[in-house]
Amino acid sequence: MEGGLRHRPKTLDEVFRLREREPECRLLAGGTDLCVQHRGRLGETPLLSLRRVAELRGVARSRPDLPGAADLLPGGECLRIGAGTTLSALLNETEIERGFPALRAALSAIGSRQIRNVATIGGNLCNASPAADGAPPLLVLDAAVEIASREGRRLLPLEEFFRGPGRTSLGAEEILAAVWVPLPFEDEVSVFLRKGRVKMDIAIASLALRCRRGAGTLSGLRLAAGAVGPTPLRLRRTEALLEGASLKDCGLVREPGGRPRAREDGLLARAMDEASKEIAPIDDLRASAWYRRRLVRVFLERAVAEVFAQ
Amino acid sequence: MKARLRFRLNGKVVETEVETHWRLLDLLRDGLGLTGTKEGCGAGECGACTVLCDGEAVNACLMLALEAEDREIRTVEGLVGPGGRLSAVQRAFVEEGGAQCGFCSPGMVMSAQALLLEDPDPSEERIREALTGNLCRCTGYKQIVAAIRRAASLRRSEAGEGERGEAGGEG
Repeated sequence: MEGGLRHRPKTLDEVFRLREREPECRLLAGGTDLCVQHRGRLGETPLLSLRRVAELRGVARSRPDLPGAADLLPGGECLRIGAGTTLSALLNETEIERGFPALRAALSAIGSRQIRNVATIGGNLCNASPAADGAPPLLVLDAAVEIASREGRRLLPLEEFFRGPGRTSLGAEEILAAVWVPLPFEDEVSVFLRKGRVKMDIAIASLALRCRRGAGTLSGLRLAAGAVGPTPLRLRRTEALLEGASLKDCGLVREPGGRPRAREDGLLARAMDEASKEIAPIDDLRASAWYRRRLVRVFLERAVAEVFAQ
Repeated sequence: MKARLRFRLNGKVVETEVETHWRLLDLLRDGLGLTGTKEGCGAGECGACTVLCDGEAVNACLMLALEAEDREIRTVEGLVGPGGRLSAVQRAFVEEGGAQCGFCSPGMVMSAQALLLEDPDPSEERIREALTGNLCRCTGYKQIVAAIRRAASLRRSEAGEGERGEAGGEG
């Protein structure tokens, strides 16, 4: 089959029909990863563009009326983010600016203006890079993905969507239609920390934290890390250690320079040890596994300090 | 394989035939001879190919030409006003010495244009943020930032004078 941009359908129904007829076609969203991966070979790559599919774009408050919603999104009201929404469009959403600071920080760290103006949230997730900055904040928000096919729609926890580097749970005829994010609690805090070599660079490691401040304790704590394993990872054992901890339990002190530090005998220091065991980083051209473990430890220390400082 | 494409380029409707695998950059440079838009890295890192798509900065190396269908594309050639009068951003780059080898300049100018369309009086921080995706390997960033500050004030004073402006040169 000849490559290049073969189809530009306007509806999902058309997308499903075309894919049935031409299963070789790769789906093209913003193209900022795909055009780089297939650079110089676009003539051999048959492509189906999703850019004109209006029903894939946009952000709205909504209640999920899908199988499994009662278990996966028990809070009811959610933000439904169309998979084809660009990162710039998401950054312009007041709902995201107000309620989801970690998500906003992560999205604004992706690429450059030029990239964010076309790159989509669905593309960021479907590309399934372990370093995808969109993933850790969505994981800690208990996001679920809405997957569509000719047969209908299904919901899946985002955590189960990632299967390995570049691999997702999407079946051959399925498409990521939207991301559902439960609305934040009144006392919710979220933090996203990342390190790249320069601002536009891919993350060497990242960490997202979400919790409720409760009565001065970490409650409903969620942690997720990026670029330190084959997929973005929820750090469940570390979460369990810190759940319900107060500032005193954590053993956070301030160094003379003002930098927060976890005392060796405190709970936070134990959690930092646990986090560095729970991740599975590799050595690559960006950093060593050793450095990535150090980063995750320091990110956890700073993120917890930030929660108590807020 | 070829396909028909219709879009607006620098204010004029263009109807042309393109290879389906062409990037917008290939169409502009090889198909239409508009060589102001440069190819640096071809991977969305350097920003030398920055153009405006519906007023927003995009990398022409990461966009398929056919995706321009029904959209408004503006290249550096489209900033020049009647009689070859340079736009405020272009004049400011000249006056502040915002170019050394010049290869990154068209992309820098287009990113600056996009920023000023969105924010007529950007802070230095916003200017630097808007240039994250534009690399200058002569490292002349200081003059480039100064040029954008000057361009902002030039544009504001021109708007204030109610001048006819840069007809065809906006977004």
